[in-house]
Amino acid sequence: MEYKKFKEIEIYPARDLSYNFLGIQFENPFILAAAPSTDDLEMVRRGFQMGWAGAILKTTSVEGTKVDLCYPMMSAFEHEGRKLFGMGNIDLISEHHIDKVEYNVRMLKKEFPAKMVAASIMAGRKEDWQHLVERLEKAGVDLIECSFSCPQGNIGEDPGKMLAQSLSATELTARWVKEASKRVPISIKITPHVTDIVEVARAVKRSGCDALTASNSIQALMGIDIKTFAPTPSLDGKSTYSGMTGPAIKPITLRTIAEIARNVDIPIMGTGGASTWSDAVEFMSVGAGVVEFCTVVMHYGFRVIDDLNSGMSHYLDEMKFSSPKEIVGKALPNIVSHNELPRKRMRNHIHENLCIGCDLCYVACRDGGHNAIDQLENRIAHIDWERCVGCGLCKFVCPVDDCIEIMEWI
Amino acid sequence: MMNLTLTAQQARVEAERCLQCFDAPCEQACPTHIKIPKFISMIRNGNIIGAAEITKTSNALANVCGKICPEEIFCQSVCTRGKQDSPIQIRELHFFATQEEVKKGFSKTKPFPTLNKKVAVVGAGPSGLGCAFELSKYGYLVDVFDKGKPGGVPRNSIPAFRLADKELESDTKFLSKYFSLKKKTVDGKAFEQIQKLYNATFLAVGLGKDRPIGIPGEKMKGVLPVLQFLESAKANPKRMKLGKRVVIVGGGNVSLDAAATAKRLGAESVILVYRRSEKEMRVWKAELEEARKQGVEIRFLINPVAVVGKKKVEGVKCRHTKLRKQKDKSGRPIPVEVKGSEFIIDANNIIIAIGQSIAADWLEGVEREKGYIKVDENFRTSVDKIFAGGDMIAGEGTIVQSVAQGKHAAQAIHEFLSGKQEAASGI
Ligand SMILES: Cc1cc2nc3c(=O)[nH]c(=O)nc-3n(C[C@H](O)[C@H](O)[C@H](O)COP(=O)(O)OP(=O)(O)OC[C@H]3O[C@@H](n4cnc5c(N)ncnc54)[C@H](O)[C@@H]3O)c2cc1C
Ligand SMILES: Cc1cc2nc3c(=O)[nH]c(=O)nc-3n(C[C@H](O)[C@H](O)[C@H](O)COP(=O)(O)O)c2cc1C
Ligand code: SF4
Repeated sequence: MEYKKFKEIEIYPARDLSYNFLGIQFENPFILAAAPSTDDLEMVRRGFQMGWAGAILKTTSVEGTKVDLCYPMMSAFEHEGRKLFGMGNIDLISEHHIDKVEYNVRMLKKEFPAKMVAASIMAGRKEDWQHLVERLEKAGVDLIECSFSCPQGNIGEDPGKMLAQSLSATELTARWVKEASKRVPISIKITPHVTDIVEVARAVKRSGCDALTASNSIQALMGIDIKTFAPTPSLDGKSTYSGMTGPAIKPITLRTIAEIARNVDIPIMGTGGASTWSDAVEFMSVGAGVVEFCTVVMHYGFRVIDDLNSGMSHYLDEMKFSSPKEIVGKALPNIVSHNELPRKRMRNHIHENLCIGCDLCYVACRDGGHNAIDQLENRIAHIDWERCVGCGLCKFVCPVDDCIEIMEWI
Repeated sequence: MMNLTLTAQQARVEAERCLQCFDAPCEQACPTHIKIPKFISMIRNGNIIGAAEITKTSNALANVCGKICPEEIFCQSVCTRGKQDSPIQIRELHFFATQEEVKKGFSKTKPFPTLNKKVAVVGAGPSGLGCAFELSKYGYLVDVFDKGKPGGVPRNSIPAFRLADKELESDTKFLSKYFSLKKKTVDGKAFEQIQKLYNATFLAVGLGKDRPIGIPGEKMKGVLPVLQFLESAKANPKRMKLGKRVVIVGGGNVSLDAAATAKRLGAESVILVYRRSEKEMRVWKAELEEARKQGVEIRFLINPVAVVGKKKVEGVKCRHTKLRKQKDKSGRPIPVEVKGSEFIIDANNIIIAIGQSIAADWLEGVEREKGYIKVDENFRTSVDKIFAGGDMIAGEGTIVQSVAQGKHAAQAIHEFLSGKQEAASGI
């Protein structure tokens, strides 16, 4: 029997996830990062309709800026069956110049006044930076992000170098931008590819800019074809370094955000490797005020916003937090330097009833630890507490959840 | 895989296998259109309660279906991952999610609107419950009539080893606050009253009557109609006494349930006889395998012709059959008896499982077709303001189809009560 079209009625209440950050009201903490998904009016519209709180339109520049793209531009870091564990791109900034982006901003603000509409800009000369800011403010943006960190095909000052890799250039350029802005907050999108991220953050802070976007893709060589020696993505056998994004870079971004937040008092927009609501919680717990998403959207579509909202709502309920804002910085006091860590006698504890007898912990500890696990006849792993130092390796080679715990030895 | 609840790790790993197809075929194939990729992505990302909510938003009997929906004929049959290697265990995944929700406590639903109109639902089986819940989402005051506890066939007949009471109650407890249950068997008089008192009525009394087989000796002691057998075996397994040798007649899932139940009750030999071959059986593979695992012997191409015995059953006289090329209405080849092939199977009990029909004689005024209540695409019967769904309109179906019909009927009832549709179907 074929049924008529059916309209599902929502039965669960939508939790209020809204809060204020940088003087802007965000419907939820989830923002579309400057990327292909925000390069087209129709796409951003769809993203907004589906529930994204805001978007940073893909980086633009002044008219006449040459954007010389080449294809294929995408590549993947496949790891143990997960094809897009990391995603690579040799994309450049948008092919749309400021005139088009201005138009998009106007349209979006008109249709979605409650959404955060931001634009991302990049330029070389002072007057270009300032010109872009003025035009965008007039068009009605809520925030301007400045890409100081596009890792590919630099069109900034030093060829081969990103703007944010120079402290003086960062501070100077950030000042130009801030000077030109009358109304909206400015966020500088930096790169983790620096010796000391804290110094860069301080330079931005000195410039008077309002926030940092931390960070961006990680420069990477995505792979080499071992028969032809062509790097990936291969363009007639040639390639260049890609910007790697997606799950593979999450821990790097977490550290970058944490390090800035621990040392510099400046609001942070998190980006780089977040795919889920819990990733977002992690980013926020080390200091991000909102979280930007790109790769997961390019992979699965705007629809992932439903789980981001639902997962965040349940998390807040469970934690009895009244607003996502409460998460911000929660983990920071727990990040300390190595010499401040507790020194306790730790030992592994194997729940032998859960052991399935793969003996991976045995071989890992024998060849990479302290030879503290014995292989019993029934293949069940057995720990020798005299030899175990509690390093924790076995816990992570064990394929079974919760089979191995590391606990204090008393 | 039957009767297994996934562990959290198994669920996560299985969820990671899901491709997250766009406009997913599984979602279309589920009669209640559960948003399958969405709930699976939530399991993958550790938002288990969110996953349970997605499931329950579409299917009022999410736990029951999670346990015993024949996914292999619905969602799973079109799973894209199945084209790559093996399909996702969709049912097992949503059961995992909703059972986690049960452990944590039901998520609060938002307040539903209130409309000052009353709808009666007759029968608290899958279809009645599906309809009642959907109606209450619109804001109707819903009274559900049934003789006992809610649940229908899943409560009364489906063996506990396939569906435990507490699994069914994971759904019925949740649903109970959205309607009021009137413990009452509806008869002609009550039906008349209901029609007067309520703005609309949804009938979902299922198929409560065992179909007689029509062979000599059918009324003899020891011959058990299947529903009666399953109901008493479920209600009171300790008091249910079977002989050593049991023969089941039939070729559907119900006969397999009866066979497995007989085995569990201690019958030494359980033989299922079916007049066609294995290919024509209307059963779910998992159930067939389960019955065989229990030691049920299945014999094909056999037709019972008489019950043998004086006061009590001693055996069943059968004939072998051959399949003709010609097909019957069900599209299956017609079995014909082979002359002179008579033989007797010894038996202390014979369970007749050849189908069910509508039990309600008080429904005389409502038009039928092929024995079932006739409805149009808006689930309207021939009588003004009376809608119907579930097994009583379509013959023995499944739980998920019954829930879906209830849901769709609720939408039609809403359209009718809000003036967007005519009251009667004109059939
Ligand atoms: C043994 C067996 C095993 C099955 N196994 C499965 C399975 O594994 N998976 C699956 O998907 N489907 C299975 N089915 C099919 C499934 O159970 C039915 O399709 C489904 O229950 C039909 O739902 P319903 O609401 O139409 O009717 P029912 O489930 O029959 O419910 C009808 C309800 O109406 C009540 N009622 C009847 N008369 C009156 C009256 N006069 N007044 C008030 N109330 C009344 C009854 O008490 C009952 O509660 C099985 C069926 C049987 C018989
Ligand atoms: C194809 C592609 C194009 C991108 N283009 C831009 C860009 O124009 N400007 C910019 O600031 N960031 C750009 N990014 C970086 C993203 O905004 C984002 O910071 C990065 O992808 C890390 O986040 P993710 O791991 O969620 O993808 C681009 C990323 C991708 C994958
Ligand atoms: S109810 Fe049945 S068809 Fe629907 S998703 Fe669950 S198992 Fe699949």
